[in-house]
Amino acid sequence: MSEFFLELFTEEMPPSLQNNAKIEFLEILKNFLDEKKISYNKLYYSISTPNRLIFYFKDIVEEFEKKTEEIRGPRVDANKESLEGFLKSKNISKKKIFIKKTPKGEFYFYKIPSIKVSTKKILQENMPFLLQRIKWKKSMKWGNYELSWGRPLKSILCLFNGTSLNFVFYHLKSSNKTFINKDDEIKTRTFKNFLSYKNYFKQAGVIVDDRERKLSIKKNLEKISKAKNFNLNINLKLLDEITNIVEKPKVILCSFDKKFLEIPREVIQLTIENHQKFFPIFNKKNNLLNYFFSVIDKEDKFGLIKKGNESVVDARLTDAEYFWKKNKSQSMLKYVSKLENVNYFNGLGNYLDKTKRLKNLCSVISDELLISKEKLELASTIAKVDLLFDLVNEFPELQGVLGGYFAESQGFEKEVCLAVSEHYLPSGLNSRTPKNNYSIALSLSDKLDALVGFFGLDLVPTSSKDPYALRRMAIGLIKLIIENKKSLKLKEMIDYSCQLYNNQSINFDRKSVHNNLSIFIIDRLKNYMKEKGIRLDIIESSLIDFDLNNIFVIFTKADRLNKIIKKQVGIDLIENYKRAFNILNSETQLQNEDYKGSADPALFKSNFEKDLFKKIHDIRKNFTSINLENDYDSQLSLLASLKKEVENFFDNVIVNDNDVVIKKNRLELLKMLCNTFDKYFNFEKIEFLNEKAGI
Amino acid sequence: MVSKKTKKIITFQETIFNLQNYWSNHGCLILQPYDVEVGAGTFHPATTLRSLGPEKWEAAYVQPSRRPSDGRYGENPNRLQRYYQFQVLIKPSPENIKKIFLDSLSSIGIDKNVHDIRFIEDDWESPTLGAAGLGWEVWCDGMEITQFTYFQQMAGIQCSPVSVELTYGLERICMFVQQKSNVFDILWNKDGTLYKDIYKENEKQFSKYNFELANIEYLFNTFESLEKEAKNLLLNKLPLPAYDHSLKASHVFNILDSRGAISTAQRAGYISRIRDLVKEVGLKWLEEKK
Repeated sequence: MSEFFLELFTEEMPPSLQNNAKIEFLEILKNFLDEKKISYNKLYYSISTPNRLIFYFKDIVEEFEKKTEEIRGPRVDANKESLEGFLKSKNISKKKIFIKKTPKGEFYFYKIPSIKVSTKKILQENMPFLLQRIKWKKSMKWGNYELSWGRPLKSILCLFNGTSLNFVFYHLKSSNKTFINKDDEIKTRTFKNFLSYKNYFKQAGVIVDDRERKLSIKKNLEKISKAKNFNLNINLKLLDEITNIVEKPKVILCSFDKKFLEIPREVIQLTIENHQKFFPIFNKKNNLLNYFFSVIDKEDKFGLIKKGNESVVDARLTDAEYFWKKNKSQSMLKYVSKLENVNYFNGLGNYLDKTKRLKNLCSVISDELLISKEKLELASTIAKVDLLFDLVNEFPELQGVLGGYFAESQGFEKEVCLAVSEHYLPSGLNSRTPKNNYSIALSLSDKLDALVGFFGLDLVPTSSKDPYALRRMAIGLIKLIIENKKSLKLKEMIDYSCQLYNNQSINFDRKSVHNNLSIFIIDRLKNYMKEKGIRLDIIESSLIDFDLNNIFVIFTKADRLNKIIKKQVGIDLIENYKRAFNILNSETQLQNEDYKGSADPALFKSNFEKDLFKKIHDIRKNFTSINLENDYDSQLSLLASLKKEVENFFDNVIVNDNDVVIKKNRLELLKMLCNTFDKYFNFEKIEFLNEKAGI
Repeated sequence: MVSKKTKKIITFQETIFNLQNYWSNHGCLILQPYDVEVGAGTFHPATTLRSLGPEKWEAAYVQPSRRPSDGRYGENPNRLQRYYQFQVLIKPSPENIKKIFLDSLSSIGIDKNVHDIRFIEDDWESPTLGAAGLGWEVWCDGMEITQFTYFQQMAGIQCSPVSVELTYGLERICMFVQQKSNVFDILWNKDGTLYKDIYKENEKQFSKYNFELANIEYLFNTFESLEKEAKNLLLNKLPLPAYDHSLKASHVFNILDSRGAISTAQRAGYISRIRDLVKEVGLKWLEEKK
């Protein structure tokens, strides 16, 4: 049993490429071994440093058997030459072949005997092809070479059972050596096995296993935080990234001048995290502190690295502070007219045009949400002004948020500032949804205006491309409505939005905007419901009678049903419906007759029919009562409560009566039952998963 | 060993001398700055045009670089609308270029044994040049000091062989080495002349021009004329003068941009007009050389 160990040494490989190659090539190797039926220990893995991609398998069989195989040669009646050619190509004598009949005629055959093949040999032959299969998201060439790789590949160390596995890959030859210092590609060292390799680097201070490296960084961050009473809120994405840009991680605590804490906290955080890849630090109340952690790749013997790290942050914050001070004193209201110079989108006017549309949309929404029209209009008027300010130019990710800060420093009311700050939210499925009515209104207008505009220009997302992030906008719209339990007249708002464009001489085909946007929103809503774990058949049913103005109700009905569908009440409910529907359905198809759901009580023969009829009446009455209007759980229990009457009916009454009139009346009664269910929604597509539910 | 007191300060001009010497010793031609306003050392024909074609090429030079919208009237300690890059271009990229580069740092006062030198992914793209490359920002203790790029494409043409481009940010490096928190306090020479003595007024005046006084109409017209001239030169198979005019057009565009005269919508249009010129220059340059 042998170990296989491969190290691909490159110039610094970016974290995302490292991760991809690590996963992908491990899979390629594994599949290759499986395909060749070479057995190995299931504990195989790949690890990496910025310069080393390492793949490891152990307990690989040294030899494996290649099974016998029959190879068909030429036809028996073919000319001599072709037979000779066949023998020659297989390097065998005529004695080794035999004749066999096949449906296509008589052929010569040769049976390759089973042989033992050396794993090492087969790996050696195949490694170049396997390496070739890695698909880099981005790759490059260098020097005069033909090879295209994530970053320049400098050496290949490959061991099998203690000795080097030799192959040629482009201009490189594999060996049992690698460079020991990432920055000096001169000194090499020979390795006999993976353990000695790992130990060697360990004593050199390099942690070759990224999982260990990550743990070590995390532990050190936490240790210092605990001692200093910091709150860390580790950004896990950043931790992953940092793990993959260092090989000898050390954590140091740095600080910056307290005066910078007056700059919006998001600016500081972005500077520290995104630009410098440091960890921001908070106190126990989650306020940002003037400290940060830096993960460095070297012992900071003289404190120079710490000093350098601090001065970079200082320089960046000085820059931000300069803009912050300048911008916050620029009156937002005075700047509104300058939005005319900023193009929103070709064909949709400039940002001043957009601002005017937003203002109008907002005034309509303010009526619906019963909030102050003046305040909301003010918020919409200044919402886009921050686009003119330098600080947003420097930190485009913070558009809106910074607008909120500027508004605050200029004394606008709290809700106005909040609305400006949050108006790009939610920016995706997992993004936070604003809760304040002013924010909801502004964000909704912003998204609606964009959706209508882009659909108006027919710039509709395709399956793979969504350059204007319209999916995210639609999801945002849906989240705003559902998560805030709002019932808004979206239909009318879309029309109004078209009208507003029209007022600016931007003309759309309203009908197609309406239709296409509806379909688009339905699709997003479906996705949203799926994400929320709602069963597919329930989603489909809830959308049968889709109405843009009813998004919240549609979602809630689906969600409530989903919550109870596996419980007794759900099972009863569906059973009640299905028993009635199935008979009705087959009869409808047979008789080609339509039922209206108007049974005549005078034609009932048994009490079971009367009971059911009465119960349906009671339920209908309750359904329309005001107390139950928005109480979907009770509506569902009500429908489930038909169980006794339905069971009695089916156990004791034969629908298929000989008297056609009686039969029709009974079917009408069942139709009446189904119609009652339709008051919730159409249950036709709900699957009856009684068995699976395991009552 | 580092002891701050005994360590002699490397001045701005020494930094240039040292880099020139270092790269000269590594076989580079030491060239002079290009005499047309450019946004970066990459625009020097010694980089753009020489990175095309199969011939070996090794050159290094200082290039004053103009970025009108980065001007801050000399009030910001870290930003300038005109600054210096030290540019190295080697084709094909040498096998051990990373080590050669790291060793160059010690010649300008950065001891890689005590500083945290990091290679951070930074794939470079210049839409105006139709150029793209893969590489890194080189960080020293968290500060970007050099751009390290393997050119993959230039003027829309695939690079073969591949050149490596190193761009040192001279002001940043000097601020770091001289431990200054303000760019204007950089020591230019041993006699105590500071960066601000030479360039502070320059920053003030050009910021005022770039942001406030540049004549928009005149510049738009100039852009058109320059483009026309470049096209005509291309028709006459003179890619080098045509390139000069493309560079000038690019600079005019940058001023208009800093003046706020170019909307987002127009932007892409202007950039692609410059790129089209540069692409044509690249093709003609390769043709004419043959």
